[in-house]
Formats: sequence, structure tokens, C-alpha cells
Amino acid sequence: MERASGGLLATSQQDPALSGNGKWLAVISDLRGRQTVQLRNVINGSIQALPQLKRHQPHSSPSLSWNGRYIALITQHGRRRMAVIADRLNGRLHPIQLPGGRDPIQVSLAPDAQTLALQVTDQGLWRVEIFDLSDVLEIDRPAGQALSTPPLTPAP
Amino acid sequence: MKMVSLSLGVLLFLAGCSSDRPRPRSELNGLLRQSVSSRRDPSLGQIWLASLGKRGGRERIELIDLRNRRPVPLPGLNRADAQPISLSVSGDGARIAVVQQRDDRTELFLYRRNAGALQRIPLDPPGVPRSVSLDGSGRLLAVEVSRNGRWDVDLIRLP
Repeated sequence: MERASGGLLATSQQDPALSGNGKWLAVISDLRGRQTVQLRNVINGSIQALPQLKRHQPHSSPSLSWNGRYIALITQHGRRRMAVIADRLNGRLHPIQLPGGRDPIQVSLAPDAQTLALQVTDQGLWRVEIFDLSDVLEIDRPAGQALSTPPLTPAP
Repeated sequence: MKMVSLSLGVLLFLAGCSSDRPRPRSELNGLLRQSVSSRRDPSLGQIWLASLGKRGGRERIELIDLRNRRPVPLPGLNRADAQPISLSVSGDGARIAVVQQRDDRTELFLYRRNAGALQRIPLDPPGVPRSVSLDGSGRLLAVEVSRNGRWDVDLIRLP
């Protein structure tokens, strides 16, 4: 069992989330009193900038897709908590709208970024709701994984 | 006036975002609601949903196959004397990392489905684990650990 001690950063770190390929680690750090998501390269320890998420703290419950292209998390917009998914490739931000005044609490993104699970409060109870993202996000698949194609048929 | 500016801020934020909508999986969500009195701590694998479902006042770890929307058996995982705190499923659904409390001790465990075995993962230096995350293969684990009033994140590579 190989270990790497935490505390690579001087601040407190919470809510860890690994990408599917194990290369990226998202944590929530206390930066000048604001709970802010940070994305770290596990291999060399470098911190990646997340410009589209630099506001709307406190951040909580980050979740990463397979290659770390997408990062889902809970943010604060005025009085509203909101789940969002940031696309690190093109800088877009996808908000997840919840009808009926339900508050998002926790989020989990499937490795291929085609499914999202949200823990919400609904009339004082916790629920988990699943969303299909196939119309919203491109698949984030492992490198070198074969695409499914129809079988080749011999030419007549 | 403050409310108006807050609402305007949210509207401007939304206008700058994508207009595509995630679609709720209504049939699955109905089943997730019916089977328990409350459910929390979702963790998605490629075709798996692990979560903590409360039934009869007790929380249990459940793993649901999203293809057929059925729970799969997890022999040896849910102990009557243990309270699960948080969990994470590997991308392939083969492993589940669990933080659970038993006899006033909070400890980190790894469950391997093919062996039906729950193994304690010691923390070094010792600390109190809380939130946990596995990578896709279930061979790398990140865990939030409280030590001397400070929260750290440990990375543990597993065989």
C-alpha cells in the first residue's frame, strides 16, 4: 500500500474527488476564508486554474469525469445553491436547474460524464435524483478506448 | 432592491451558460424514492449508483445496476453494529470505499465485490476519516482525514 501524505498545500483540504484515470484530484480549500475548489495534478502536484469557477463560493462536493475534462460541484448564487458542471476544454458552464425549490446538497458525475447523480433536500428529506447528460456533454472516455462501430461486412 | 439585484445576477449567470438541459431519469428516480425513506451520498460508477439508503431507521449501503435498475447483493458489507458515514464506488463497480463508525471508532474500509470481503485501511499517521473517493480502477483512493483539528487529504494506492 503506497501512500502520499496530504497537506501538500498549507491550507485545510476537504471533499476529495479523483478523476477516473487517477490523474486529477479536486479538493475544497479554505482560501482567504472562502471555500474554493482546487484541481491538482496528482503526478506532479501542480494546481490547475479553474477560471469559470473563481466566483460563487462557497464551493462544495466536487466530482470529476474520467480525464478530468468536466468538474461538477455545488456553488452559491445569491441565496441559491446551484449544481454546475464546468467544461475545462471549452470553458463553458452548465447549470443544473432543479424545479420545486429543492436545494442540491451533493453531486456525483459518472466517469464518462453522461450521467449525474444529485442529492437534494425535498420536504425535509434527502433524495437522490439521476439526470441523463447525453444531450449536454460529450463523452469523456478513457484514452485509447475503442469506439463502438458497426461490424465490417465484406464488399459484395 | 437587494433581492432584485440578486435575481438579476442569477439571470445574467444563467444567460451566460449553456441552454441544453439535463433530462431527469423519471422512472429510475421514482424507484429510488419508493424503496427508502431517505437516500444520500450518491456515487456513480460507469453503470453503477452507490448510495446510503435509510429503511426502518437504519442506513445501509446500496449498489444499483443502472441498466436494469436493480440493487445487487453486497454480502458482508452492511454490519448491524456499524453506521456508514460516506462511500465511493470505483468506475467498474468492483470496489466500494466506505467510512463507517462502530463502537465510537470511525474507520476506512475497502470492500471488494468479487471476494465479498471488507478490509480495513489503516491511516498513517492516525486520524479520523470522513469523505472518500476512488478512481475508476479502484486502485487509488483519496480520503479526507482530521488530524489535530485540521483537515488533510491522503492519497493511498491500493493493491
